[in-house]
Amino acid sequence: MNGLWLVARREITTRGRTKGFVVGLVLSAVLVGALAVLPRLFSGPDSFTVGVVDSPALQSALAGAGQQGEDGTEVTVKPFADEAAARKAVLDGDADAAVVGDRRTLADGEVDRELGALLESAHQAAQTQKQLSEAGLDPAKVSAAMRVAPLEQVSVGADTRYEDVRTGIAFLLVMVLFFLLLQPSMYVAMGVVEEKGSRIVEILLTSIRPWQLLGGKILGLGILALANLVVIIVAGLGAAVATGFSADLPPGMAGIVLSALFWFLLGYAFFATMAAALSSLVSRQEEVSSVISPLTLLIMATYFVSYFAAVEPGSGVARILSLIPPFSTMVMPVRTAGGGVPFWEIGVAAALMAVATAAMLALGARVYERAVLRTGARVKLSEVVR
Amino acid sequence: MIEIDDLHKRYGDKIALDGVSFSVKPGEMFGFVGANGAGKTTTMRILMGVLSADSGQVRRDGRALAFEDRRRFGYMPEERGLYQKMKVAEQVRYFGQLNGLSPKEAAKATEDLLERLALTGRAGDEVGALSLGNQQRVQLAVALVHDPEVLVLDEPFSGLDPIAVDALAEVLVERRAAGVPVLFSSHQLDLVERLCDSVGIISAGRMVASDTVEALRAREGRRLLKVVVRGATPDWTTGLSGNITKNGDEVLFADANGSDQEILRAATAAGTVEHFGWERPTLTEIFREAVA
Repeated sequence: MNGLWLVARREITTRGRTKGFVVGLVLSAVLVGALAVLPRLFSGPDSFTVGVVDSPALQSALAGAGQQGEDGTEVTVKPFADEAAARKAVLDGDADAAVVGDRRTLADGEVDRELGALLESAHQAAQTQKQLSEAGLDPAKVSAAMRVAPLEQVSVGADTRYEDVRTGIAFLLVMVLFFLLLQPSMYVAMGVVEEKGSRIVEILLTSIRPWQLLGGKILGLGILALANLVVIIVAGLGAAVATGFSADLPPGMAGIVLSALFWFLLGYAFFATMAAALSSLVSRQEEVSSVISPLTLLIMATYFVSYFAAVEPGSGVARILSLIPPFSTMVMPVRTAGGGVPFWEIGVAAALMAVATAAMLALGARVYERAVLRTGARVKLSEVVR
Repeated sequence: MIEIDDLHKRYGDKIALDGVSFSVKPGEMFGFVGANGAGKTTTMRILMGVLSADSGQVRRDGRALAFEDRRRFGYMPEERGLYQKMKVAEQVRYFGQLNGLSPKEAAKATEDLLERLALTGRAGDEVGALSLGNQQRVQLAVALVHDPEVLVLDEPFSGLDPIAVDALAEVLVERRAAGVPVLFSSHQLDLVERLCDSVGIISAGRMVASDTVEALRAREGRRLLKVVVRGATPDWTTGLSGNITKNGDEVLFADANGSDQEILRAATAAGTVEHFGWERPTLTEIFREAVA
């Protein structure tokens, strides 16, 4: 075990210090952080200033509504002496809109949709109350009767309230998982060929067993990639919390994050082992990309099907793909972000992928062990699998 | 004692080793010589377990070598391999730890070795930034860091300047004095002759000679008798038997066994005998003869 850990530690310290890794880490964190904030930037303001001129009913209704919209929108009421002053304030941007005489709304162009709806409902409530009072009803009874509980939303189909956010998270996951499965697998391949090509593997394998060298490399680079994933998640959630976007996140975020981590680990073990086995067939860095092309194709295919699953997480195709290794490594966490995945499907997908990973580990270790000392011309896969 | 017993290895149609056997005793320095492609590297890779033989065995003190035995060997492969992007001291320490040293022991051994090999000033440099000669010293440090019980070095002297050759030779002599069997291959036969107790000559996958340097010299059939006569007419050798080579006053007689006294009489009759004696064949001559 000591040899395994020594190898892993060397991978972490040497690869973790390279520019490529550090740049990838920072960039991915910044990118995901930015993407988590972006919808917030485009969703418009969440606080409004409304000028009022001679509109006592609306003014009291807005004040009575607690100046709070349904999703935390704040409304500040600012009285003006006359319409001219209100117009000027709207044009200068000091007020988002102004209501004159409980009849007209002034705005610079169109009224913001959310604010418009807010003002309209306040106006309706204020006028109804006023007219009922004028019809001779007790104002206290009227206002008591006006207090109506809002309709509760219950979905009898899939819960679609957070659909947009869920889709956004799914797309982020697709990108992040794709990056974090491909990059460390490439590092594994390059590392194997570096050792084989320089024959340093001859010295290494007189000191430690092949499984220690292979396992340590996969483990070390996996720890780096896992750290990268954690940094990305922290950056994304941190940015969401910092901007107040976290209020819009769907329930079960912990489950989505855990699912991403779990599937990343299985997928990484599978793809990294495949990368090591394939790259052990060649002795020169120039040959790496061609020898691992089956791996890159497979990751690309997984990327594309999971992209599809992010768009249509509930479709039958996505359901089937989420069960099939190695597609499940990306499709299943994407579906989980979409919500409503039956527990048994996750169990079946995990079991199948675990079997596939174990098989890949056994086969990959065998190929690696037999091919890594055969320097020179490219080793044929058929020669070492038998 | 390291015993190599009847190794056979074949790559496709090509026979690389055809029954190679020899042994290296504790405290013995064994020079392994042979033309390019004769089978030196193949033999040493089989000895180190990075290549498997078709048949035959490698033993240490009568037991077949296992992985755990080889961990205590120091090995320098033919094609040098180091992590180019890793720092010198860090790399030597790493290999020390891989071979079972504690971090502390590895640090100490690394420091001592770099000092011995005049690399202390480069300890913090990346290996790739070093000259080839210095990289070779690092390679040697990697082979020696865990104080190995057996040394197997493939062409350790190639590419070294004379000062580095002396430093390496000194280290090897010291290891030998500590009772370590040292096996190395080289094309520098003068060096082998100077350093080694025993020599193995391999040709086309077969050992054509393997013995102490003295025994090889004694066994050499084609001994040369060198005679230098001043003031003799050039034709004083007429009538003498043997394969004669002349170079001024110096005459070399090959195949002169049995006729040496007759030659001496002819020489004294011809002039002043300045030199009369058997030439000790150099290793180069033994080698040429053996692989011819």
